[in-house]
Amino acid sequence: MTTLSIDGFIGLSIALLAISIFGILTRRNFILLLISVEIGMNAAILNFLFFAAFPNRSPFFDGLQGQSIAIVLVGLAATEVAVGLAIVLALNRLKGTINVAEASSLRE
Amino acid sequence: MSLIATGLDFLPEILLLAGALLVFLMDAVGIRRIEVVGSIAVGAILFAMLLVFADLGFAPVAFLATIPRSQIDIVPAVGSTPLYWFTSLGLFFQVFFLIAAFLVALASMSRPSRERGAAVFYGMILLATLGMMLVAVASDLIFLLIAIEVVSIPSYLLVAYTRRDARSMEAAMKFFIVGALSTVLSFFGASFLYGAYGTTNLFVLASGSAISNGAFGGGGFPLLVVIGYCLLIAGLAFKITLVPFHAWAVDVYDGAPDDVSAFLAGGTKKIGLFAFFLVFLGPVLLVRGTVEFQWFGGIGAVALGPVLQVVLSILAVVTMTVGNVLALMQKSMKRMLAYSSISQAGYMFIGIAIGTAPALTGASLQVFAHVFMKTGAFLVVAAAAGLGVGPLIADWRGMGQRHPWLSVAFALMLLSLAGVPLTIGFLSKFVLFSAAIEAQGYFVWLAVAGLLNSALSVFYYGRVLKVMYFDAPERGPVIPTSTEASVPSPGAPNGRGAVSAIGLGAGGIGYARATTIALIAIVIVALGVYPGPLLQPLAAAAQHFVNLAF
Repeated sequence: MTTLSIDGFIGLSIALLAISIFGILTRRNFILLLISVEIGMNAAILNFLFFAAFPNRSPFFDGLQGQSIAIVLVGLAATEVAVGLAIVLALNRLKGTINVAEASSLRE
Repeated sequence: MSLIATGLDFLPEILLLAGALLVFLMDAVGIRRIEVVGSIAVGAILFAMLLVFADLGFAPVAFLATIPRSQIDIVPAVGSTPLYWFTSLGLFFQVFFLIAAFLVALASMSRPSRERGAAVFYGMILLATLGMMLVAVASDLIFLLIAIEVVSIPSYLLVAYTRRDARSMEAAMKFFIVGALSTVLSFFGASFLYGAYGTTNLFVLASGSAISNGAFGGGGFPLLVVIGYCLLIAGLAFKITLVPFHAWAVDVYDGAPDDVSAFLAGGTKKIGLFAFFLVFLGPVLLVRGTVEFQWFGGIGAVALGPVLQVVLSILAVVTMTVGNVLALMQKSMKRMLAYSSISQAGYMFIGIAIGTAPALTGASLQVFAHVFMKTGAFLVVAAAAGLGVGPLIADWRGMGQRHPWLSVAFALMLLSLAGVPLTIGFLSKFVLFSAAIEAQGYFVWLAVAGLLNSALSVFYYGRVLKVMYFDAPERGPVIPTSTEASVPSPGAPNGRGAVSAIGLGAGGIGYARATTIALIAIVIVALGVYPGPLLQPLAAAAQHFVNLAF
């Protein structure tokens, strides 16, 4: 019986991180940008879960720690997005747009 | 009966939280006057500061201590993985953070008393300060990163709290995007370190023992560690505005309301520095130890420390140089101060790259000095804006004659930023650069780079001084002086104009703001001339921190 390697799982979360960073850097729509942020946070959360689930030979290893960190991070990501949405709403009321590229008055 | 018996190690933090909740509660029941709300915030911050001083063992207030002396500066038992630990250096940083919050909270009480959003402003200041204090006691990577989030999330809201100002909303948006990216990177890096070491405890990360056990497969998996540390450096570098990750800071400091800029540049930015202390001093100090890890199945052994030291040194030099060069080219006062803030972060970073006790002392002193100099400079800019001075450096023509006291205070802050002797900015740079020379090796070049950069920075600080004192106001409509402004003008654009129109105290900038600025100017000179009371305990604290043999 072959055991599943963790490499594939780490590859998945790295791919998610890449998608997230690409999204944050290229998206012009603030909502899509928030979704990209969420994908990145979820990549980190998944990573904690993967590492917690696979055997680890470190004497300090505690799988429960990774799982509890994951739960905390879910809450943290939600908080961050809530603040982001508040900013979007205020921006939309002020300028009538949620396009990031149109907010460019801060130049020299 | 002392407070230690209560077991409330986090009493100062609890006080700040209680203050924030009280502020929000009062907003809910309709008490919104800025004098009332501000007094609560200032009171909570001052009381928390008193408690931290007591924990540090200052004799007159020592009876208020909440943490037993026997728990400060103690290495946790082997095998235990605590979430937080108390060090005297961490407590000193708590004091610095509280000072920054105090200065901003006090000065902001001069804003119009009916201004909207006072509760949001002061509540968020208190919550962000709470997070900053948690950063200073973290000993677990996740605890640290969440504490940083506790600072970041209120900071986004602080920048956006005016809601009606397109510029500050845009700044908030940029701040949020960059902050979110930095959060993602740091947590992703932390997850890799968790995978490699099996825990997120900073002591375990620092000892490096877990790696040689091999987290995955045979012979260790250093790639996890390398990628983890790289992502963590990138994530934290956003917070402290190191150069490849600095671009957001200028727009945010420029667009944010002036008092918030003061808090961001003088206060919240420093958490990144202490986070670097905690996360990277371990590996850096290990240079002097023996820990090495296997590189790809035993091809060779590489010590993590020297590699990190080179990376951090390069970041320090690049940051100070780029910050200074760009500051030279600015026409706007706030943007110039923002770039100067970036270059100051480069000086602080020298201390981390070297990692000896004197270097840590220098970096901590630089943080302390920067709290006063930069917060003060932004508060002066806010005061000047209230007096009708425009945003450009050229608008400051003739300030020396029109507002002599404000100009003297500003000149002192700029001289201190440039590092002129008899100011606290000189002291911190002196300690820092001499530590770099003491450390020998290529660190001497860090000192050389720092000195050259200081010389460079004199140009743009000196230019402001020249504009203030030697350029007469020559063209354009006469900018109202404080006496002229005492005639009520119906066209006053916002609340600030109204303040000066009423002629509210101390030449139209408000008593609270004038007091704060005077206080900052006095501290800059007093501690520059007579640094002993600060320098000695700080040096002892840094020595303890290094001795803890992270």
